[in-house]
Amino acid sequence: MTMDDLSPKERISRAFDKKTVDRPPVVCPGGMMNAAIVEVMERGGNRLPEAHFSPELMAALSRDVREGTGFENYGVPFCMTVEAEVLGSEVDHGTLECEPKIRKERYADVSEAGGIDAAGALRRGRVAAVAEAVSRIAAKGGDVPVIGSVTGPISLAASLVDPMSFLKGLRKDSANAHRVLAAVTDFLVGYARLLAESGADAISIGDPTATGEILGPKMFEEYALRYINKLIDGIRVTGVPVIAHICGRLDSVKGYIPAIRAQAISADALVNLRLLKAEFPQLTTMGNLSTFTLEFGDPEKVARQTELLLRDGIDIIAPACGLSTSSSLDNIRALTGTVKGGA
Amino acid sequence: MPNEKELYGLLSDAVVGMDEDGAASLSRRAVDEGVDAYEAIDQGLADGMERAGALFEEEEYFIPELLMCSDAMYAGLDVLRPHIKADVGADRRKVVIGVVEGDTHDIGKNLVKIMLESSGFDIVDLGRDVPPARFVEEAISQKADVIGLSTLMTTTMAGMRRVIELLEEAGARDRVKVMVGGGPVSKSFADKIGADGYSKNAAEAVRLARELTGTAGPEARAAAF
Repeated sequence: MTMDDLSPKERISRAFDKKTVDRPPVVCPGGMMNAAIVEVMERGGNRLPEAHFSPELMAALSRDVREGTGFENYGVPFCMTVEAEVLGSEVDHGTLECEPKIRKERYADVSEAGGIDAAGALRRGRVAAVAEAVSRIAAKGGDVPVIGSVTGPISLAASLVDPMSFLKGLRKDSANAHRVLAAVTDFLVGYARLLAESGADAISIGDPTATGEILGPKMFEEYALRYINKLIDGIRVTGVPVIAHICGRLDSVKGYIPAIRAQAISADALVNLRLLKAEFPQLTTMGNLSTFTLEFGDPEKVARQTELLLRDGIDIIAPACGLSTSSSLDNIRALTGTVKGGA
Repeated sequence: MPNEKELYGLLSDAVVGMDEDGAASLSRRAVDEGVDAYEAIDQGLADGMERAGALFEEEEYFIPELLMCSDAMYAGLDVLRPHIKADVGADRRKVVIGVVEGDTHDIGKNLVKIMLESSGFDIVDLGRDVPPARFVEEAISQKADVIGLSTLMTTTMAGMRRVIELLEEAGARDRVKVMVGGGPVSKSFADKIGADGYSKNAAEAVRLARELTGTAGPEARAAAF
């Protein structure tokens, strides 16, 4: 077998293992980083918000996304509210253009957030729908990997407890903050394993509230690092690789990045991945094509920025953060096409 | 009153030290001792919040710490505010603030609100997920000087541009300044959509708002209380 024969599954698997590849994979994992843009939905007819609920539609939309954009994976779900909703927060499911968001957190304060029923939640609501969608996609996915996306522990906790109150709780009520985070992490391990058992080839964790800019280095270590690693360890026993996406600037927490036990570290547009790789050669880096450029730039500019990522040897090419639903398909195709060699 | 200055220092320290109970009890002491409530806020609580903002910019403090400081400040304010003499604070600048429709988070907006409020601005908080038209309607009806738009997500940036277009359509663009901020926003984006200014964090937002409204300096600060 020559390198040219690498299937998308083999290529990303080799990238995770830091083995040689013909070129990096280009993916969009789903969840907070999904490519269900308006143009794809209008062409394919499988639309949000309906596809947030129905496994058939979710699977169909993930196929439309892959075929339309050229990303080399399937990625579900298309939001980061599945977990908080099943654990009791109120969710606004959004529209075709606008992603779902938390309308009201279940708890006002970390001290109230006892009794999270992790086991029961795994059998309810959209958790079951996402698992069913993954198994439908995997059954027909062939050599294209399915990535299941989950919300990270800090972001999930801040979607269950009022976020301002939660952040203060990290500081003034650490016993209860740890209790909440331990409970949501247990739930997330269960959820991610369910997705893995349903056929996901990788799990991607997006934790936009767990940034150095928000938490600072001390609390990043005490809370974010501790619980994301607990989640990663819980997933990795199944043998499925894990991607961790860290939002924002890394400066204040850069030293902790190699301590994250994921197979790949995905970073935001503000991060210079070339320098990160140079400093920590052991990392498998993923990213980080500006989502601003994907929305407001043109295909030439996207292609030029993609060339830079290729030149810098970024291991897995992907958008830097959540895509706008009004990003153009031409721009996204310029990204995937450039990685694939103008194909 | 020989120990006024000392009391202001203690109030300021209580805010910087995230000591909610301390800020409240020191404020009660100020009231009991007949200290001018306006001065206690300005030289005590607001000064503490300004120091907390500086520590935030220096990355000594992060968001949890800044929120704790603001709780201490508000605990003191609750005690002192009823004791302010009525003639103070009549002419304060008004900022309509909110998170543009489509965003899921309001942490940044809340920080900006806290810092502006502690710096003497009158804040009209529209909350999160605000349609562009609502900013414009509120700014006009409330006679606001500034609209502050915050986002953490690229998905809402088109909404920021829309606010400015609607302001122009309403013929109010020259009366209302627009400042933008938040994770994905940059100076170049602000320029591109025709905003009057961009700030990268809550402390900088205060300087920008002062600049845009011509109210530099701490003397404008405690007017809001």
